[in-house]
Amino acid sequence: MRAIDIFRKHKDEVTRLWTESVFKTYPLETTGFLRTKQDPFGNPVGHMTKEAAAALYDAVIGESVDIEDTRKALDRFIKLRAVQKFTPSQGLGVFSLMKPLLRTHVLPELLIKKKLHDYLEAESRLDSLTLLAFDMYVKDREILAESRITEIRNQYAQLARWAQRLNAASPLAVEDQGAEAEMHSTEGQGSV
Amino acid sequence: MAKLPTPQALMSSRPAFPDKAWLDIKPEFAPGSYCYPAKKETMELLHMPNPHDWDPSAEDWNLPDNWEKILCDAFEERLEKHRSLKLFMDICVRCGACADKCHFFLGTNDPKNMPVLRAELLRSLYRRDHAMLGKLLGKRIGARSWDKEVVKELFYYAYQCTECRRCSLFCPYGIDTAEITAIVRELLHEVGLGIHWIMDPVKNCSFTGNHLGIQPHSFKEIVEMLADDCETVTGIRPKTPFNEKGHEILFITPSGDVFADPGIYTFMGYLLLFHELDLDYTFSTYASEGGNFGSFTTFNMAKKLNAKMYAEAERLGVKWILGGECGHMWRVINQYMGTYNGPAPDNMVTPVSPFTGTVFKNAASTKMVHIAEFTADLIQHDKLNLDPSRNDHIITTFHDSCNPARAMGLLDEPRYVLKAVCNNFVEMPENTIREQTFCCGAGSGLNTEEIMELRMRSGMPRGNALRYVQQKYGVNHMACVCAIDRATLPPLANYWAPGVTVSGLHELVANALVMKGESKRTMDLRQEDLPNVAEDDDAAQGEGQ
Repeated sequence: MRAIDIFRKHKDEVTRLWTESVFKTYPLETTGFLRTKQDPFGNPVGHMTKEAAAALYDAVIGESVDIEDTRKALDRFIKLRAVQKFTPSQGLGVFSLMKPLLRTHVLPELLIKKKLHDYLEAESRLDSLTLLAFDMYVKDREILAESRITEIRNQYAQLARWAQRLNAASPLAVEDQGAEAEMHSTEGQGSV
Repeated sequence: MAKLPTPQALMSSRPAFPDKAWLDIKPEFAPGSYCYPAKKETMELLHMPNPHDWDPSAEDWNLPDNWEKILCDAFEERLEKHRSLKLFMDICVRCGACADKCHFFLGTNDPKNMPVLRAELLRSLYRRDHAMLGKLLGKRIGARSWDKEVVKELFYYAYQCTECRRCSLFCPYGIDTAEITAIVRELLHEVGLGIHWIMDPVKNCSFTGNHLGIQPHSFKEIVEMLADDCETVTGIRPKTPFNEKGHEILFITPSGDVFADPGIYTFMGYLLLFHELDLDYTFSTYASEGGNFGSFTTFNMAKKLNAKMYAEAERLGVKWILGGECGHMWRVINQYMGTYNGPAPDNMVTPVSPFTGTVFKNAASTKMVHIAEFTADLIQHDKLNLDPSRNDHIITTFHDSCNPARAMGLLDEPRYVLKAVCNNFVEMPENTIREQTFCCGAGSGLNTEEIMELRMRSGMPRGNALRYVQQKYGVNHMACVCAIDRATLPPLANYWAPGVTVSGLHELVANALVMKGESKRTMDLRQEDLPNVAEDDDAAQGEGQ
């Protein structure tokens, strides 16, 4: 039996356990809901976690997957972890939770078949995927920071244009000051 | 030497079984999950009770000495004033039908964001003083006492509810959790707790008219700039009537659409549509903010800001009011305006479309018509010359804005208009649209940038549905009928479904509108080239050669 066949045999169990360990990072009162409700729109967190679990496992065990497909499958999940109330290590640490599961459920059988090398390769792939996820996570956080700046700019888009036009139209310093004063008076607010 | 913890140890953010009951686990005020407090000066100017400096992340919120009495008295007063509140406090059986319907719950997985438990934060206080069993049995039946941590908790969760009312749709008793949130916010205001992003616009709307506090003459100039932009795109400069007496219609829309990108393009859409119709209307600088920021604070403040609409309609002598694309504005109009400031002034009549003769009987009481109804009626009577192919480069979906959808049942009119001006329209999944629409995640005064992280969480269910249609059907655009949506959906789309643009409905209407005497349209209202037109020109040139 090839190593990948042994890995495949354990897919359902390991992905289920991994999904549950991800759910355990949320409050106890809500894990039942995450686990049981199947609707992809009624329970988006559950759905995206399960999608990520399957894609992660396939990539880890060395199925011939396109890295772009894996990235796509992990994307939503990482975006979610990047904005939820976690520290960065808690956000991405869920990937490391796959290792103890593999060691408990897959490694013993692989050892019996003398396929330790295949197992170590799988763990290395998990490390690579964690690094991939790290890049995605940081990019998501950057989008978040940029969004804040863009939003502030957009809220005053017309006001800024108007103020610039005033400056261009009038050489009188008095009017310039007036426009500036009005700009200042609106600091810190947004659009409706 | 201590050993490094394992990843599992680092990950365990909670014990396997919590050592405290859910009600006793208090929120942590981490940056990104709470809004900045209102300034003391702002609160003083507005005569709000107990204005003071405070910081949500600080241990002490500097509450007034007798804060508990203030809150208990205020709560009792509200219970007497609003029978609905008393009913909502008594009637909930905690069936949990609402529990998983809240976008904040789905995004945060925080049990206190289940609408039933969010309401329970207040209900537990109600039981202690106002329910017989609670008085007798206390904690055993879920009653609890006020303390400063409870006040903090109320603040935290009252500003993690956008008052979208998706939960009440599923409540078998029809409990309006949004009104419970509104009451909690009102109580907090009694001890001087409010947020900056709401109170500053309230101040500006109170004193100047629009939410940024721009003086009337400047406001008018900014609108005229938008009319100039219309001319650049269409060759026609629409009129911009302000504060003129004797017109048939007063037009009121959120002032965000005058200042903020991309709302300005929706505003340009209104200008062009009205010009093409030669609509007999005027704007008002006094009532230039349709969105009611007061409704995010207290009953009285909502009433005060809402009063400007009828006051201006009376002063200007209009027959009825046409309202722009806005969210809470329409909830206030449909559900509260009659109580706040009704009946409408005597000079107002049941609205009749001057072009089709349609009587808007649904607006017989308020005398206010939503522009989507107005335009849908025009299209139904074939009064507009439309070329939807100008919008062929977009595949659009429609985001039902919570308040027009759930508070006034505006579901089909915007879709009818959208389908008339766009050839490519795709619905999002059934349980995310119409009455069941997911909130943008930032309504009710929460679209402030300091909680961008929280907004991405709470908007996730909407972003997730959008992403689905983007990937499955190639959707690249989302239309909506709310100014908060236009401000808050672009960053949400950029995060969850990058590549999807957001606009108001009437931006697309004006793009498709073939106007009398217009120059050939080569660009849309955003002054971006229309791809289909460019191809035609090339073809025409080829034929010429």
